[in-house]
Amino acid sequence: MATLFKKDWFGLLIVVVVSGLAIAAVKPAFLSSFNLYVLMVSTSYMLIIALAQMIIIAIGQMNLSVGAIGGLVAISFSGLMEVHQISVPVAVLISLVIGMTCGFLNGYITAKSGISAFIITLATLYIFKGINLGITEAEPFYNIPETVKNFGNAKLGNTPIPFLIVIPIIITFLMWVFMNRTETGRHMLAYGNSVQSAELIGISSSKVVITAHVISGFLAATAGILVVCRLQLGTPNIGDSWLLPSFAAPVIGGAILAGGKVDVIATALGVLIVVIISQALVIFKIDPFFVQIFLGVMILLAVLVNRYREYKQEALRKIFNSE
Amino acid sequence: MNEFCLEIRSANKSFPGVKALDQASFRLRKGSIHALLGENGAGKSTLIKIITGVHKQDSGKLFINGKEETLNNPNDATKFGISVVHQERNLIRRFSVGENLMLNNLPKTPLGLIDYDEITIKSKKWLEMMDLDIDPKTVVSELTVAKMQLCEIAKALSLKAKILLLDEPTSSLSPQESENLFTLLKKIVRDEGVSIVFVSHKLEEVFNICDDVTVLRDGENACTSEDIKNLDRQKLVRLMIGRDEQIVKSARKIKNAKDTILALRNVKTELGHRNIDLELNRSEIIGLYGLVGAGRTELMKCLIGQDKITDGDVIVNGKKVTINSPKTALEKFKIGYISEDRKKEGLILIHNVLDNTSITVWSQIRKAFGFVSDGMIANKVDSYIRQLEVKTPSNYQLISNLSGGNQQKISVAKWLAAGTDILIIDEPTVGIDIKTKAYLHELIIKLADNGTSIILISSDMPEMISLADKILVMKDFQMSGIVENDHDYDAVSSKIMEFIHT
Amino acid sequence: MNKKIPNFIFTNQFGLLCLVLIFIVIFSTVTDGFTSRFNIFALSRVIAIDIMIGLAMMVVILTGGLNLALGAIGVCAAMFGGWCMEVLEIPIIPSILLMLGMGSFLGWINGFITVKTGVHSFIVTLATMSIYFGFMTMLTEAEAFRRLPELFTDFGSAKLFNKYISPLLLVSVATCFVLFYVFRFTDIGRKLIAAGANPEAAELSGISVNRMFIYCHVLSGFLGALAAILLTTRIGAAIPSMAGQLGMDWLLPAFLAPVIGGTLLSGGKLSVFGTMLGAVLVTLLTNGLYLLDVGEFWIRFFLGIILLMAVLLDRTREYFTLRKVIVS
Repeated sequence: MATLFKKDWFGLLIVVVVSGLAIAAVKPAFLSSFNLYVLMVSTSYMLIIALAQMIIIAIGQMNLSVGAIGGLVAISFSGLMEVHQISVPVAVLISLVIGMTCGFLNGYITAKSGISAFIITLATLYIFKGINLGITEAEPFYNIPETVKNFGNAKLGNTPIPFLIVIPIIITFLMWVFMNRTETGRHMLAYGNSVQSAELIGISSSKVVITAHVISGFLAATAGILVVCRLQLGTPNIGDSWLLPSFAAPVIGGAILAGGKVDVIATALGVLIVVIISQALVIFKIDPFFVQIFLGVMILLAVLVNRYREYKQEALRKIFNSE
Repeated sequence: MNEFCLEIRSANKSFPGVKALDQASFRLRKGSIHALLGENGAGKSTLIKIITGVHKQDSGKLFINGKEETLNNPNDATKFGISVVHQERNLIRRFSVGENLMLNNLPKTPLGLIDYDEITIKSKKWLEMMDLDIDPKTVVSELTVAKMQLCEIAKALSLKAKILLLDEPTSSLSPQESENLFTLLKKIVRDEGVSIVFVSHKLEEVFNICDDVTVLRDGENACTSEDIKNLDRQKLVRLMIGRDEQIVKSARKIKNAKDTILALRNVKTELGHRNIDLELNRSEIIGLYGLVGAGRTELMKCLIGQDKITDGDVIVNGKKVTINSPKTALEKFKIGYISEDRKKEGLILIHNVLDNTSITVWSQIRKAFGFVSDGMIANKVDSYIRQLEVKTPSNYQLISNLSGGNQQKISVAKWLAAGTDILIIDEPTVGIDIKTKAYLHELIIKLADNGTSIILISSDMPEMISLADKILVMKDFQMSGIVENDHDYDAVSSKIMEFIHT
Repeated sequence: MNKKIPNFIFTNQFGLLCLVLIFIVIFSTVTDGFTSRFNIFALSRVIAIDIMIGLAMMVVILTGGLNLALGAIGVCAAMFGGWCMEVLEIPIIPSILLMLGMGSFLGWINGFITVKTGVHSFIVTLATMSIYFGFMTMLTEAEAFRRLPELFTDFGSAKLFNKYISPLLLVSVATCFVLFYVFRFTDIGRKLIAAGANPEAAELSGISVNRMFIYCHVLSGFLGALAAILLTTRIGAAIPSMAGQLGMDWLLPAFLAPVIGGTLLSGGKLSVFGTMLGAVLVTLLTNGLYLLDVGEFWIRFFLGIILLMAVLLDRTREYFTLRKVIVS
C-alpha cells in the first residue's frame, strides 16, 4: 500500500475519481449512459494521441507533427477506400505504413542531423499537411464503407462501452509493457535521461530516436483511423487540434519534457482528467472556448507541479548526501 | 615473465592542425595497476579514446592479449573486455542500481520481457562481491557520488571487464572514500584478474596503488611502462613537465595594517553554509582550501548574490550590505568572480574576444540611448588584452578558437577592465599549461600588490601556499580553520590537512 | 589582420541577397505578371508582415527559446485594437499604442512565467497560446471588427513610389534598422545577445539574465502586435481567424525567416537583416509558386521543405565552425 502512494499515477487516480464523483453529485446526468459513451469515445483516440507524444517526450524530444501525421493518414485511409476501392484491412495496413513512414522520416532526419526535433517536426508538420491539402484540395471523403462506420458506432453488447475504446486500451497496455518490460523501451528511457550516458553504455542513439518516432507515427496513424471511424468521414482538418491535448495528458501525467521520465498509466489518467473536465464544461454549459483556456492552464499547472516535485527531490537528495 | 593484456605500439594520431599522439607506446601487464600520467593536453585522453575504440589511431598497432586487433567503435572495446569508468556519468539516474548494472544485458523471461527479479538477484551478486551494501532496487539518484562510482565499477565487472580504465576516479571523493576505493581496486586486481589503467593528477595516489607508470608529454612518451619502484615524486614530475616542479616563492609582505574591505559575520546560506566568518583586507590574498564538495565555490556564489544568504552580515567597506545579484556585486560593490568552469560560466564561446572582454563594462561606457560602439569598447579593453599578452590573431576572433590559457586570460581581463576592488578567483589554473600558469600566478600577486583584494579558491596545494597570505580551510559548508601562511610548504600543508581531517 | 567586419561577400546575408536576386530574375522571366505593379504592391504588403513576424520570433529564438503564442498574441492585439477603435471609439494613435501595449503585456506574461519557473518556453507558450486565444474567442464571441476607422485601413491600401510599394513595408524596414541599431550599438542589445548565448556566464558577468529574457519576450509581443497592426490595416478588419487556429498559421513564416536568415536556434546569435532577407525570400518563393500555378495547397508543402533545407544547411555550417573549435 505504501508503495502505491509513491506512484505518480496514484494522486491522479484520486483526482479522476473525486472529480468524476463531484461532477456526478452536482449533475447526475454526467453518469448517464449516453454521457459515459461520449466520454469513452473521446478518451479512445485522445489516449492514442497522448501516447504518440509521450513516447517522443520519453526520449527528450517533441513531435509537433503528430496531428499532421494523423490527418494525412485519415485522408489516406478514407481516400484509399473511397477513390481506390481498396478493402478495409488493406487500407488500414497501408495507412499504418504511411504513418510509420512519416515517423521514420522525422526520426531519421532528427537522428542523422542532430537538429532539435522541434524544428524538424515543425517542418514536416507543414510537409505532411501540405501533402494532405494537395491531395484533397481541402475536400473531405464522405464515402466510408459501412463496415468502418459500423465499427465506429458499435458498442460492447448492451453496455454503453464503445467498441472504439477496445483497441486504445490494448495499445495502452502494450505500451506499458513496452516502456517497462522491454529492453528497447528501457533503452529509450535511458537515452531520455542522458544521451551521453546512453551512448557510453553502447545504446545506439539513432536506433532509439528512429524507433521512438516510428512508434509515434504508428500511434498517430492509429488515432487518425479511429477518428475516421468515429466521424464516419475523412476530412483534411483531422489532427489540426491535436497539438495541445497531446502535450497536456503526458505533462499532467508527470512527464518531464527534458526526457527520461514518462508513465503510461499516469498519461492515461491525464487523458481521463482532460476528457472528464472538458465534458463537465459541456454539461455545465460553459462556453466551449473555455476548454481551450482550461487546457492551457492545466498544462501550466502540471509543469509547475512537476517542476516543484523534481526540485523537492533534489533538495532531499542534497540533505541526505551531506549527512 | 608477465604477459601484456594490452599493448599499443607507436601510435600516431593527428587532428587537423594538432598532433595529439606522436609514436606513443603503452604496455599494460596482466593483473597490474598502471598509472597513465601527463599534463592536460599531453595526449592522455586521446590514448584512452583509442583504447576504448572512440578514436582510431592513424598509424601504429594495438594488441590485446598479444593479438593485433582493430577497434572500430566502443562496442568493439567492450567485446574485448575493456571498460571505462567515468565519474558518475555512465549511470542512468532515474533507474535502479540493479537495472543500471544489467542495462547492457538485461535478463529476460521466456516471453522476451525484462525479468526484474533476476536483475535483483544477479546485480546483488556483483554488489556483494564489491562489499557494497546497496539494495539493487535503490534509485541511483539517491546514492552519493562515491557509491555511484563504485556501482560503475561493479557494472564494468558485470560486463566481464578485464581491462578497466579509471579516469580521475577520486576527484570528487573524500580521502576516506578514496581509501576504500583503492582497497577495492587492489582486491579486484587480485581476485578477478583485472588489469587497471589509472589516470590521476594526484601523485600520492599513484605511488600508493600503482605498479607501473606511463607518462605522456606533448603526445610523446616521456616514459613507457616504468616500474614505479624506479621513480620518485620528483622524477615523475620532471617527466611530466620536462623540468622540476617550481613553487613560486611569493615575496609579498603581509601588511599589518588592518583595512578590512569585506567581512562575513556568522553567515548562513540557502545552500547549507553555517557560521561562516571571513575577513578580507585591502591588498590581501586569502585562500579558500577544501575538498571538492566543501562548499567553497557555493559560498562565493552566495556572496555575489547568485544564491541567497539567509542569515548573518555581509560587510563591505565597513557598511552592512545586501548583495542580491552578480549585477549588484559588480556595479555597486565592485566584486568580480572568475569561475572555475570558464567554458560554461566564464566565457561566451560563440562570441569574439572583444565582446567577451567587454561584457562587464558595457554599462560603464555607454553614452546617450545606450550607444556603445566597437571603437569605444576597444578603447576600453584593448590595453588589458595586450597587457595580458593574449595570443589572438585579432580582437574579432571567436573565443572558442583560442587556447585554454588564452581563454583564461580573457576571463581575467574582463574583470580587470571592470576595475574590481574585490576579485574572487576560482581554480584559476586548472587545465592551463605550465607557462600560462606561472604567468597567472605572477599576475595575481601583482594585482594584489596594486590594491585589489583577492579571494582565491584552489585545490592545488602548492599554488595555494605560494599565493595566499592567509588560508581558510572549509569542510562540509563550514569554516574549519585558518592557517597563517608563511610559505613553508611542509608546515603549512600539514596544518591544512589537520583542519580537513578533524 | 584587424578586420572589423568579415568581408560582406562571405556572409550569409550576401548569399541570401544573391538568392533573392536569382529568384526575381527567374520569376520575372518565367511567369507573367511577376513584375506587374499590382503584384509588386501585393508582395510588398505580404513581405512587410512576414518580416515583422520573423523579427518577433527572432528576438525569442535569441534566448534559445521560442514563442508559440506569437500568433495568439498578434490576434489578441488586433482584436483588442478593433474593440478600442470600433466600440470604444478611441482615436487611432492611442489605439495603436494600446495594441502595442497589449502585445507587450502578453509577451511579458510569457517571459515572466518562463523566467520564474525555469520551465522551457516551448511548453509555457504552448499553454499561453491556448489561454490567450481562448480568452480572445470568448470575449469577442468569435466576431470580427469590420468597421475600423477609414484612416486606419487606408494606410494598408496606400501606395507609394509610383504605386509600387506599400507603406507597410517602410514600417517593417524601419523596424529592422531600429533593431539592428539596438543589437549592434547599444549596451542593452549586447546584453540581450550575451544572455542568450550563455546565460550562466552572462549572469556571473553582472548581467541580469532573467530581466534580459523578459525583455526579449516583451519585445516579441510588441513586434507581434506590430505585425498584427500591419495585417489589420491590410485586410481592413480585425478577424479572430486572421492567424488561423490558435494563431498557428504564423508559426511557419515566424521560424522560416530567422532560420533562413542565420539566427542560431540555440540562441546567442542573430541577424536582423538576415531575417529580413529570409522573409523576402520566402514570400517571393510563395508568390512565384502561385504564379507558376502550383496549386495553393501545395505551397505549404514547399515551405515545409524549405524550412527543412534551411535548418539542414544551417547545421552543416555549424558543423564546420564547430570542427574548427574542437581542433584548436
